[in-house]
Amino acid sequence: MNIDSLKLKKISALWIIVILVLFIASIVLGILMRLNQGKVIEQSPLTFYTNMTTHGLTMIGIWFAAGMVAVNYLLQRYVKTSYGVNLFAFILTVIGVVMLWVTTYAGKFSTGWTFLYPLPFRDLGSESWSTPLFLISLTILGVGWLVWSVSLMAQIFKKYTLAQAFAWQHFKSNPTVETPPFILITTVTLVGVIASLIAAVIVIVLYFAEYFSHGDFVNDALLMKNLIYFFGHTIANEMLYLGLAVIYEIFGEVSDRPKWKMTWYISLAWNCAMVFILTAFFHHLYMDFVQPQALQIVGQLVSYLASIPSAAVTVFSIVAAVYGVKVRWSIVNLLFFLGVAGWVIGGLGAVIDATISNNIMLHNTLWVPAHFHTYNAMGNVLFSIGFFYWFSTQYVDKLVLSKLTKYTLTLLIVGGIGFLMAFYVAGANSIPRRYSTYPVELTSGPYLAKVGALFATIYLIAILIFFYNIAKRCFVILSASSR
Amino acid sequence: MQQHSIMLFFMLLVGIGTIFFVSIFMSSLKADNDSTGVKNLLKKRFWFTLILIVVLGIFAAATLPKSPYFTYANETPSTVIHVGTMQFSFFLSTKPIDPKSPSGETIEIPHDQLVEFRVTSFDVNHGFAVYDPSMRLITQVQAMPGYVNNLRYKFTEPGEYHIFCLEFCGTGHPVMQTTFKVI
Repeated sequence: MNIDSLKLKKISALWIIVILVLFIASIVLGILMRLNQGKVIEQSPLTFYTNMTTHGLTMIGIWFAAGMVAVNYLLQRYVKTSYGVNLFAFILTVIGVVMLWVTTYAGKFSTGWTFLYPLPFRDLGSESWSTPLFLISLTILGVGWLVWSVSLMAQIFKKYTLAQAFAWQHFKSNPTVETPPFILITTVTLVGVIASLIAAVIVIVLYFAEYFSHGDFVNDALLMKNLIYFFGHTIANEMLYLGLAVIYEIFGEVSDRPKWKMTWYISLAWNCAMVFILTAFFHHLYMDFVQPQALQIVGQLVSYLASIPSAAVTVFSIVAAVYGVKVRWSIVNLLFFLGVAGWVIGGLGAVIDATISNNIMLHNTLWVPAHFHTYNAMGNVLFSIGFFYWFSTQYVDKLVLSKLTKYTLTLLIVGGIGFLMAFYVAGANSIPRRYSTYPVELTSGPYLAKVGALFATIYLIAILIFFYNIAKRCFVILSASSR
Repeated sequence: MQQHSIMLFFMLLVGIGTIFFVSIFMSSLKADNDSTGVKNLLKKRFWFTLILIVVLGIFAAATLPKSPYFTYANETPSTVIHVGTMQFSFFLSTKPIDPKSPSGETIEIPHDQLVEFRVTSFDVNHGFAVYDPSMRLITQVQAMPGYVNNLRYKFTEPGEYHIFCLEFCGTGHPVMQTTFKVI
């Protein structure tokens, strides 16, 4: 096994430092947005929306990358992965992110991270060069991540047959080869990641085709919206699955509990999840009544179905691994456990919103950022930070649950709950999302924004403490020699 | 007040979820080396899955017929309002709107009668969200260039209703609003 490869350790440490720095910067942007909505500070609408666009794009990018870093690192236990491709993805990600920030801050590109067609062509106040530069930066990120995903997938298929990688042999009794759950989840997730990145490539090509046609070619707004949400929804969910793959792999060993073995129901659940997650995106188009009704119904049914394998297999397994048994608790598995709770609660908010008759009251209100921030900021982020802790401590010192760690976790929970509740209550009060300032009629908007900013600052303090602890250990890894 | 019911329901679920996860965590703190944890795991997992499927099935069966696509689908609207949208204005008219020189008119809608809004956009995607006099979102639809979305609604309370854009459409997004009266 090549898990102790110093090069892989160093590139992983570098990824982690960059991801956390960008995370902190993006949280600050989020707090500034809530302060502006709360009328504590005054930004121009253009500044607000460039911040919003940068915040969304960066968050999606870094937490996808964080999941990939973790999966790439742990995959070394089973197959050899390419250091060169990992480095290539890192370089392209850094270039892509720098270009995105140039597009938003120098070019004033401000369409939101969903860049819904045809807004990038009619983005008022932005520089004319910002749209092509934005598309080029997305292309660079897409190429880096696609090559990385395909490379990991290829390495899996070098060792496992197609049926083994998807653990289909476990549908029969007494399979001769056991597929580790980590391999199955990684394979299933990479299928979704590659599919979503291919959709992104199609979107970029269609945007460029219209851009260079000078009016001869015009895209179809409904098709573009379907493609953009196929990409956006899928990648946002797959990055959660990358985090779950990590939990399946290391929760047992850090908790002093047996590692999960593959069973027929784990195989069935993840194969179903792969299919469901690729069609759940239709729920983003419920309020487009011209979308075929059959797809709207599929959207609700599949959104419901997607929760079954997650709850019945993954959540149930983690609960069963903890309930009534002695567990060696550390910051790593506490973050995993807390993240699963956040994922479940965010999932409940998501299922409520994925119900068409509710969506008509909640669509594009602050209920939407409420639920996706729940399963990201209090779910997926915690999965990745748990991995970062595990990664950085395994070589440097032992995991201890100090008093400071407990206080930091308390800050994280209090800050997280507070800033999320401000979103949920605002959503239930019909406060729209993506408003730089609120019309005077929507009286609770500014007040709840101030509450959100206050608690998000508490959340940020916890993240800064985590950053200090993780980054100092990552710097030790970076400075280590190969002796 | 559907939103308040949703919030209450959600908070109930969050409360149950929190108690559940905290009690699971506490049970591990109390456990000693001899504790064996959950027994008959597969059987319990089966029942949990079955209950989850039944509950979700009931929710789907109860909510899908209430989807806006089916509401008032078999009735004929007594009033048709054409809605044109563009950065950062709404145009409401009882007559079709010319996208080259869009203009609107003051709209008054009789209460307890079915109205159909025919909503489109002349530039980017917008939202057409109707807020009642207490500023509660009561219905909405998207405004998409190249398409017309038909939204049907029966207003029961007279008063001034606000329309806000609920799809991000550029820097003027939060100021894009208009009003109409229900009489």
